[in-house]
Amino acid sequence: MKRRDFLGRVGAAGTMGLTGALSVPALLSGSRHAYAAGDDIPIGVLFSLTGAVAVVEHTLHDAALMAIAEINADGGVHGKQLRPIVEDPASDPATYADRARRLMIRDKCVSVFGSYTSSSRQAVLPIAEQRNNLYWYPTLYEGRECSRNIMYGGALANQQQDILIPWLIENFGKKFYMIGNNYVYPKEENNYCRILLNELGGEVVHEEYVPMGHSDFSSVINRIRAEQPDVIFSTLVGDSDVAFSRQYHAAELNPDKMPIVSLTRSEVEVKAIGGEAAAGHFSSAPYFMGHESPENERFVENYRSRYGGDQVTHFVSEAAYFQIYQFKAALEKLDPDNITPIGIRDAAMGMTMKAPQGEILIDDNLHTHLWPKVAQWQADGQAKVILQSEERVTPKPYAAYPGQECTGEGLVKA
Amino acid sequence: MNSRISYDVIGFALFAGVILFGVPAILGYDAFELSTFSRYLSLAIVSMALALSWGTAGLLNLGQAATFGMGSYAMAMHLKLKASGESLPDFMGWNNVDTLPWLWVPFQSLTFTLLAGFLIPAGVGGLIAVFMFRARIAGVFVAIITLAFLVAFQLLVINQQGFTGGQNGLTGLAPLEIFGWVVDIYSVSFYYLVSACLLVALTLGLYLTHSKFGLVLRAIREDPERTRYFGYNVASYETLIFCISAALAGWAGMLYALVLEFASPTYMSVSFSLAIVIWCAVGGRESVLAAAIGAILVNLAEGRLSDVFVEGWHLILGVMFLLVVMFMPRGIYGLIVDAGRALKRQGSRAETVEYNPPDALLSQNRES
Amino acid sequence: MDVVFNQVFAGLSFASILLIIALGLAIIYGTMGVINLAHGEFVMLGAYATWALQTYAGLGVVTALPLVFLAVAAAGWIIEKVIVQRLYARPLDTILATWGIGIIIQQAVRLGIGPDSRFVQGPQWLTGNLQIGNLVMSNYRLFVIAFAIFILGATWLLMTRTEFGMKLRAVIQNRNISECYGIKAEKVYSVTFAYGAGLAGIAGALITPLFSTIPTMGTGLVVDAFLVVIVGGLGSLMGTAAAAMLIGEVTALFSIVMNDTLGRIAVLAGIILLIRFRPRGLFPSDTRR
Repeated sequence: MKRRDFLGRVGAAGTMGLTGALSVPALLSGSRHAYAAGDDIPIGVLFSLTGAVAVVEHTLHDAALMAIAEINADGGVHGKQLRPIVEDPASDPATYADRARRLMIRDKCVSVFGSYTSSSRQAVLPIAEQRNNLYWYPTLYEGRECSRNIMYGGALANQQQDILIPWLIENFGKKFYMIGNNYVYPKEENNYCRILLNELGGEVVHEEYVPMGHSDFSSVINRIRAEQPDVIFSTLVGDSDVAFSRQYHAAELNPDKMPIVSLTRSEVEVKAIGGEAAAGHFSSAPYFMGHESPENERFVENYRSRYGGDQVTHFVSEAAYFQIYQFKAALEKLDPDNITPIGIRDAAMGMTMKAPQGEILIDDNLHTHLWPKVAQWQADGQAKVILQSEERVTPKPYAAYPGQECTGEGLVKA
Repeated sequence: MNSRISYDVIGFALFAGVILFGVPAILGYDAFELSTFSRYLSLAIVSMALALSWGTAGLLNLGQAATFGMGSYAMAMHLKLKASGESLPDFMGWNNVDTLPWLWVPFQSLTFTLLAGFLIPAGVGGLIAVFMFRARIAGVFVAIITLAFLVAFQLLVINQQGFTGGQNGLTGLAPLEIFGWVVDIYSVSFYYLVSACLLVALTLGLYLTHSKFGLVLRAIREDPERTRYFGYNVASYETLIFCISAALAGWAGMLYALVLEFASPTYMSVSFSLAIVIWCAVGGRESVLAAAIGAILVNLAEGRLSDVFVEGWHLILGVMFLLVVMFMPRGIYGLIVDAGRALKRQGSRAETVEYNPPDALLSQNRES
Repeated sequence: MDVVFNQVFAGLSFASILLIIALGLAIIYGTMGVINLAHGEFVMLGAYATWALQTYAGLGVVTALPLVFLAVAAAGWIIEKVIVQRLYARPLDTILATWGIGIIIQQAVRLGIGPDSRFVQGPQWLTGNLQIGNLVMSNYRLFVIAFAIFILGATWLLMTRTEFGMKLRAVIQNRNISECYGIKAEKVYSVTFAYGAGLAGIAGALITPLFSTIPTMGTGLVVDAFLVVIVGGLGSLMGTAAAAMLIGEVTALFSIVMNDTLGRIAVLAGIILLIRFRPRGLFPSDTRR
């Protein structure tokens, strides 16, 4: 063997050895203390910092950590500090499952905050249920789930579409073109939309799904041009949404005649699409950055001063933020020496709170009562709210499935 | 040759001892740590399966994740049916599937599932192998065909949401029940189940590589043409090792679905397939035992690094892979073999090295 | 009928993007047999370089192209010198090494620039459509098609009409004998790798106005580009171009008959069959036997 060769190998082996050495103390550490028995309260923060979903999830991570820092600066809960334990699940469901175990079993967190995608939530679900822990999920989702171990902070189909669809039919017309990524959320939303369209006399001219991460929409745009629908009903997420909107704009299709109405587009995507290309299209969500309320002004101001003036808040990061406060409020109701995930859940049920979007309520079915809004995007990248629900809307995770209802006792079938 | 067998037997015995007694003792029989380690062990099986086809026969299968995924779906389908009881699996109702698809029906039987978990991957692997090797496809083209198959297969699984659960995969599974024993993945007995599977797979792998069959495969790796002239049917040998490798991958997939309690299309992703290749390369592709150890070490390192460096762990892993590939082309195994030989040489300086490492040839057999 | 014509254009547009990405890969693979899995990351670097030039220097996408080419080519040159050069004897190992390089580049960009999606403004003078009857063609896409043809032509000239091209072809045919004639094969390899990386950078710059610019954007592209190279045939520029056309058009036409997902599956199946029956690609170059 050449000498240089050998030195190189020794170097590489050294790196491996170092890794090994790092792992020894952790290997031997075994189990730690019981739930929140120490001076602080351990909570898990499980948002992807790497991988494809990191674009969105890092903003959720930031919002959650900011809320924790605010609470700690304010003296914590019962005089105890919240101790965030951060893990990076790398946008991969298997890694989510692994890290969730670490947080719930090894680190004895009393709650874990995490996830943007449905697949990652479902990867964590069996662990949360089996360990009777609590998983706080801030994202809008497809419903049809009624776990007693997940706190759902995002909007459901009925909260996004009930005010939206009648308004669209009235203002644009009855021909809907459905485009989404190929997974469960778009399919469920479209299911629900079809029910509403049937009642209101609307029709679906085309329904299609493209693979996750799909980025060339020439064919879709050609089809849209041929079909001439009144509304493009979009449930594209992330990269696909960005690519679609930019190509839609480049093809000079007119948002006044054929607006893209998205259930998933937030300020994060618009920042990447560019205000000019996004302008004139619509989104439906319970929160937009420009919403006027004292709570929101404080939220946006703190967020920007902490993470930079070019950062945006959006409807998922708002939920990631207010869920930490809901958690804190629930903790305050408990005996500080006896904090358990289930105790937190029971204390949280029925609780109201002033969130940036308005006063919200946690239902007994663990979903959240929210304030639906429809907004039009402006050239400056902000949304202008056009339509706002007059009342707080009850979450119905089984709205599309008559005879099934999610209640405080779990799923009830009539 | 004989000395190699005895080294491998000693290595295997040491490994078995560590896995069976050392690891549980160090981990203090902690439920969480043991279940995490069972995950690494199930991944070690798929890594050693790749070593069989890649290290021994020189066939780089980038579609290993597809057969792994098939195994995990087979297991998950059985457990999903069990969890659903008399009714249809929930996601089918949501996708307007009214009757149980014929593909699902046989998975109600545990025996069928356990057999299907490696027979289906073996069958599919065999078909691809026959398809390729009859045309004497070799080298990088094997990698590309298997890669294209993997991408297409994953798209298909995601697309058929009503039958496969789509992007979310199969979740909400019942625990496995064998002969009345309900498997608890946080138990010591489950850990021993997975270790036993790994040790059996390794025994099979070691037996194969040291048999005449393994010798022919190594001959094929060095020079398929010449092996053909000797009268061996190269395509049949290649097909057989591909089948065995696929079956072991499927087996690993079944265990993996058990450990993680769900099956996901990400088990069939390109990046997962490449990760398997990397584990195998880090350990040393020439030895099935080393490949298994490589998988365990890389996953252990990944787990620990991500614990310590939340922001940078991915970067560190990338640098580590690069260093290994550049400076340890034969993995940890090569390092140990070289060190062993260096020690020997120190003992008797006059002796010349009689053993030519197979990889030296491998590295030059690119046509020039 | 209109639909078909529009779809043909869509296919052409997709093909042009595939071609620009695949061309660099084809040159690197054809010359050195290096399977460069970091190619997608070079595309990503090109996109980020364009973003940086636009944000900090105010350059438009088109004016930035030469600078982006040089910047990414420089990155490629360094990577070749430091890492890839040591692996020429082990072509299959380059798969692993370049995968590692890809991870490192991706993570470095994420840590250095941040995981957010970046916005790059498309050129203003290329907005709008060219309309002929019912055939609607986006001007920017037309520009990308034209540019792809230009790059193909330039590369062809480089390979066949320059001294460097002659040396390159000599090294491809027989490295040892070319070295005997005083050609420095190592240098030829470095320049070729840098050139291939630079082309990837240009591809990144050109797709930013249409796609989303994030650290992981390259990962999905490399598999497609690689299939194009293999279908086209080793080291054949025209083969790569033909394969890009074929795959682009077939994808577009399948996607109106079926849908985008099934279309892609069908194309992959077709590619597998093609490799099985013509493993040397559509247009195997005669430089290699």
